[in-house]
Amino acid sequence: MRHETGVRDRQAATAIAWATAKRAARSGAVWGALFGVLVLNEALSYHKNFPTAASQHKFAQAFGGNAGLTAIVGAARRLDTIGGFVAWRVFGLLIIVGAVWGLLAATRLLRREEDAGRWELLLAGQTTRRHATVQAIAGLAAGWAVLWALTAALTVVAGSRASVGFPVSASLFYATAATASAVMFLAIGALASQLTPTRRQANGLAAAVFGVAFLIRMVADGVTGLAWLRWVSPLGWVENLHPLTGSEPLALVPIVLLTVGTAGAAVILAGRRDLGAAVLARHQSAKASTRLLRGPAGLVIRLERWVALAWIGGLAILAAIFGVVAQSAAVGNVAVEAIEQQVSRLGGHPGGATTAWIGYEFLYLAALVAFAAAAQISAARGEEADGHLDNLLARQLNRGTWLAGRLGFGVALVLAAGLATGVGGWIGVAARHGGIGLAAMMQAGLNVAVPALFILGVGALLYGLLPRLAVPILYAVILWSFLIEIIGSSITSNHWLLDTAILSHLGPVPATTLNWTAITWLTGLALTAALAGVAAFNRRDLAAA
Amino acid sequence: MVAAIRTESLAKSFGATVALRSLDLEVAEGEVLGYLGPNGAGKTTTIRCLLGMIRPSAGRAEIFGVDAQAHPAQAHRRLAYVPGEANLWPGLTGSETLHLLGRVQGRVDSAYRDELIGRFQLDPSKRVRAYSKGNRQKVLLIAALSSRADLLILDEPTSGLDPLMEETFRECVAAARRRGQAVFLSSHILSEVEALSDRVAILRAGELIEVGTLAQMRHLSALSVDATFDATPPDLSRIPGVTAVDVEGNRVRCQVVGSVEPLLGVLAASGVHQLLSREPSLEELFLAHYGREPAAGPEVSHAA
Repeated sequence: MRHETGVRDRQAATAIAWATAKRAARSGAVWGALFGVLVLNEALSYHKNFPTAASQHKFAQAFGGNAGLTAIVGAARRLDTIGGFVAWRVFGLLIIVGAVWGLLAATRLLRREEDAGRWELLLAGQTTRRHATVQAIAGLAAGWAVLWALTAALTVVAGSRASVGFPVSASLFYATAATASAVMFLAIGALASQLTPTRRQANGLAAAVFGVAFLIRMVADGVTGLAWLRWVSPLGWVENLHPLTGSEPLALVPIVLLTVGTAGAAVILAGRRDLGAAVLARHQSAKASTRLLRGPAGLVIRLERWVALAWIGGLAILAAIFGVVAQSAAVGNVAVEAIEQQVSRLGGHPGGATTAWIGYEFLYLAALVAFAAAAQISAARGEEADGHLDNLLARQLNRGTWLAGRLGFGVALVLAAGLATGVGGWIGVAARHGGIGLAAMMQAGLNVAVPALFILGVGALLYGLLPRLAVPILYAVILWSFLIEIIGSSITSNHWLLDTAILSHLGPVPATTLNWTAITWLTGLALTAALAGVAAFNRRDLAAA
Repeated sequence: MVAAIRTESLAKSFGATVALRSLDLEVAEGEVLGYLGPNGAGKTTTIRCLLGMIRPSAGRAEIFGVDAQAHPAQAHRRLAYVPGEANLWPGLTGSETLHLLGRVQGRVDSAYRDELIGRFQLDPSKRVRAYSKGNRQKVLLIAALSSRADLLILDEPTSGLDPLMEETFRECVAAARRRGQAVFLSSHILSEVEALSDRVAILRAGELIEVGTLAQMRHLSALSVDATFDATPPDLSRIPGVTAVDVEGNRVRCQVVGSVEPLLGVLAASGVHQLLSREPSLEELFLAHYGREPAAGPEVSHAA
């Protein structure tokens, strides 16, 4: 009997870790595979795209010194080598995606579990708040280990090819560097989960940390003489690792310290605070503010306003930064030629270096605005899944009216975000005395809103037909579109496949004029899909989570 | 007179699972109907079909003569609903929630709402996040009752309420009934249904197996008899209509269906010392329907 009890106790001591690890590892595996494939693709296509030393050198010259591009994807090193190329080409993207994965995974498996009341059930078992948090963080670490292992395995596979030739140790170090932001933001997400009372707020806090870290890193890379600022930002530390271009393990020290420190703080705070409470808890009571609560349209504004303002503000700031760095990209830089060529290839007639560069970079903003649109579909689905919607639909409200209100808010958000990028970009350019007019920048802003409108329409259709799968499919559509946009042309020339990139249908405004044919098609399809989505939603059962 | 609720061969399946089979049910204006059944019997499925939240696989449902599927918003004009689980917006306060629900409801008796806030002892300035389960349930009860709707559809409305608040709830439903409001009360609390309902409907595995007034049901059901004799009791098991005979020394307990005359004849001739008889409680009726029957099948997800 004594022996059996011992067995059960040991199981209790690791049950939460296993349960968390299983869930974290699932998404870690998906992203790890994606990271690995991206690295593999870049490494294997290098010699195809740049067959001669001259072409490699030309590419390195064109992009190596581009301050604007550097500010966004990070500084390039040894761009005329395959290591430098692979490191530069996808590293910036992996760092961003990894950080977002980390913070979302941590808040989902910590704060979301607590919000839903499941954490309470676990804590009723043979464990304490502190120990349970240690277990959950260990589970998250296992998820990161899977992310790292798959990235590493595929990088080693790529590196072992004769044409690539990365040493195994360098490949492993690259995987470590590419997933370093993921592990840091897992820990930051875990800490944010202790500090705020809801998952949404925990995401907001962790995302704010990410935003600040990204901005500091951007300034450090974009402004001459401020390179030391890289040591202030966690994302700068990652860049300082210099994977595949003369690894610098010293930069791992602050990364490890931050990860262990924030995870440790999360554990200590979890032990000190009450279950369900938060260190930065809001007041339990509040004065009633019923101005907006007159119906479903007002309710969505009330529920989503801070998220919407964060998107709009964040995108405006990002666009302003693009505007500021665009100017430096234009000053006697060889890179401009390459970008202008790229713009011409996309069908544009660049009206100047700054304009060309802004037009190209605004396509990235379009992907972010599309994410904001998808988040609105996700929020609508959340209202249904959480049972909130029952309270409205049991009263005098039609489903169609409710969904139309939600989509209307999404359209307003997307247009506001688009115009904010236009205004932000214009301010950024104007601050450096650049010569792009407000009208042209507003057109660029409108242009980035169009793919998001399309996503809203498709999202409404998916939501009407497949409520439980709509959100994951929608995010997959955006990621697919973004990936095809970035790497599609290097893996295939099949124009049907390339056409699935929504962004590619729009010109790089302001380098080109608005493509009204594409805009009309995309918005027309969006409207049709939205109407079909409302009709499908009217006919189906409401579906719980 | 148009019925408050009328269903015609209403059926719902979730894939291979049949949640509701051909339900024919009517609730008259001003009537309180208790809707009983074990977990998974199809109570919530019925309600969600009535509210148009899920589409029936067959049949139709009407609220005051309006098709609940074709014109849900119009059908909801005269009803108010309290769900079994109080899923409210965590960031809104109690009074903000009541304001919003009142606006979407379309009509509110504000004076009555304020009275109910007092009677249910709800602090409306708190955020929903800070409420206990019972307090969240109170918000929904107050929102529904203060609409003074002609039909109240209540799905396990007192889950999480303490006994004092449950008493307040009963008073409010009784008052609603006196005002002529119809009530569809799905509940597990049999004493609550017994105290409030004009008629009771019993559901098992998606099928309506019994519907009627409690008096009718009792009439059809067994009478409990408890007799104590001076000496060894006679054998009662052979008497027509007598079942479940349980002998314990000089004491016999049994059930009688139909006429009690043959039993009384035997008892009178056997020196009965003490005789107690009573009608079955709703609980006994309920258990009689389920206790000796196989379970109602696997749990059905009503919300699916």
